[in-house]
Amino acid sequence: MASLDTNDVLVARKAYNAGLVQEVSKERAYWFPAIVLALLLLLPLLQFTGNYNYLIHLVLFTASYVVMASGWNILGGFTGYISLGHNVFFAVGGYFAGMIFARYGISTIILAPFAGLVAGLLGYLIGQITLRVRGPSFIISSLALVMIFRILFENWEFVGGAAGVSLKANDLPVQWAKLPYYYAFVLMAAFSVWAAYRIKHSKFGLGLRAISKDEIKAESAGINTRFYKTLAFAISAFFVGMAGAVWGEYLTYIRPNIFLIILVSVNMVLICILGGKGTIAGPVIGAVLLVAFNEFFVATLGASEINILATGLIMMICLMFFPLGIVGTLARLRKLPRILNWD
Amino acid sequence: MAEVIQILILGMALGGVYALMGSGLSLVFGVMRIVNLAHPVLIMAGAYVAYWAARLYGIDPLLTLPIAAVILAATGVILYKLVFEREARSAKYSEMTVLLTFALAMVLEGALGTAFTNTQRVTSPDYATDAFFIGDIFIPKGQLYAGIVSLAIISALALFLKYSRFGYAIRATTQNREAAELLGVNVNLVGLVSFAIGIGLAGAAGSLVSFVFSFFPAKHWEWIAVLMSLVVLGGMGSIFGTVLASFILAVVAAFIGAYFGATWSTLTFFVALFVVLLVRPQGIFGEKPELA
Repeated sequence: MASLDTNDVLVARKAYNAGLVQEVSKERAYWFPAIVLALLLLLPLLQFTGNYNYLIHLVLFTASYVVMASGWNILGGFTGYISLGHNVFFAVGGYFAGMIFARYGISTIILAPFAGLVAGLLGYLIGQITLRVRGPSFIISSLALVMIFRILFENWEFVGGAAGVSLKANDLPVQWAKLPYYYAFVLMAAFSVWAAYRIKHSKFGLGLRAISKDEIKAESAGINTRFYKTLAFAISAFFVGMAGAVWGEYLTYIRPNIFLIILVSVNMVLICILGGKGTIAGPVIGAVLLVAFNEFFVATLGASEINILATGLIMMICLMFFPLGIVGTLARLRKLPRILNWD
Repeated sequence: MAEVIQILILGMALGGVYALMGSGLSLVFGVMRIVNLAHPVLIMAGAYVAYWAARLYGIDPLLTLPIAAVILAATGVILYKLVFEREARSAKYSEMTVLLTFALAMVLEGALGTAFTNTQRVTSPDYATDAFFIGDIFIPKGQLYAGIVSLAIISALALFLKYSRFGYAIRATTQNREAAELLGVNVNLVGLVSFAIGIGLAGAAGSLVSFVFSFFPAKHWEWIAVLMSLVVLGGMGSIFGTVLASFILAVVAAFIGAYFGATWSTLTFFVALFVVLLVRPQGIFGEKPELA
């Protein structure tokens, strides 16, 4: 009787698992984001020929949303836990770096990773509590979290209460003043997209995607779901916190009604839904579209109220007619252009 | 002692208003499994109906109440037909409706803000600033009337649900949609009617709110968490639970406000929501963890 060696089975299973993890689309166009990144890094050269600060601002703004949305996507897209309260981590990152910058003058760009870690740690602790419920309960608890933090920050005298703290602007000539933040955000965006890709195609990411499909089955398949999703929460908080850190110095003030308004967290959610939850290119496409929409509405209509209306309307249409988002819907129809396939 | 009774009375009076604000939300969740985050902004719309009726024609907000309720119920029918009917087949239905109603809340907030601007409004009938005095204790008339009207409406709703034939159908659908359908209940009609009643209650609550609180469109975010805390503590779908939770939380908030300052009284609701969701997601009267 031919005995089946246990070792062979284990080796075969390991090989199979590794195959699952590394399953990448042969069509994927990894060169496209690389080219975009290279162009963006060279973009500031335009400043030698004139003042393109508005363009720089738009790219910076988009990049900041790419960082946040890619971070949100790790929890909301891969794991399937929709959080409407991620601006809490945006605020925590912003306040942590902003306060140190105000007191000791250390640039928030250097502080960003540490602000991210602080936000991530807080995310881990909050995740331990809120990830015990799922579905609508989780969404509602995330909303409550924003309300709680808003009140706490508005009444915390040390960080300036509702008036916040103003931060010193840098003393570069106006033409170059935006560039440190520009490079910081573009590099953070590149890092977050790369990190999201690596996470999605790791054993950890596979576990997260299993949780989003069916948490009970994932758990019975031996995935430590509690730990996985809490870690996903922490990682996504890390990216959002990192973006918040630099955003505060860029705006030159930190204030609850900048960081803790619902529109910030809605934008993260909307970008992912618009672009495609759980895809790598989705947050980038969504951020570009959202910033374009915003600029269009501000330029043509001007009022922030119309902006809220339009944001809500886009979200409703998207949820009702293409819940998979642009990338997801095109991929399902097998019409995804190659340059948008980054998975 | 007088102080404690005073705070208790103020808390109870507000609790009555909260009860009406929350009961529509609870009804809609019970029957339709829709967590309607747009409910507070619909209350806001009802408040604007009362405000403009009072401002333009000098009509008392208590008299506008039925009009606001009917207008909002009609809005509810339209929204149901446009948005929610087709979503009933979606796989992640209840999670989907949270996001959808959230987006709807933004649309309505933007629309109200565009039409009426974000200035603070309040209707001021005579009784809104008046009070009854019993010895040292005062009872604000506005809140008292609002509380009484609200409890009357909720009692009527409870009687309707308990004794009318259609009320049976609504309760049956709340308990078990499939079984109710098998027994010949037209669940689609029940869904539509209870959604309309729920939104109509929002309109009614709005006209009470118009003289109890000052309001502006963006304020509904605060109300979302307040109302959610009532409904979740009471047990989603249980109207009696919502009423009880309203009184409990309003009294607790009144005490916290009196002893620690008004800021922290709002925090009561948010912290309560958070804690209840995590400790007992089914609330006081919920039977199974519906939302978990």
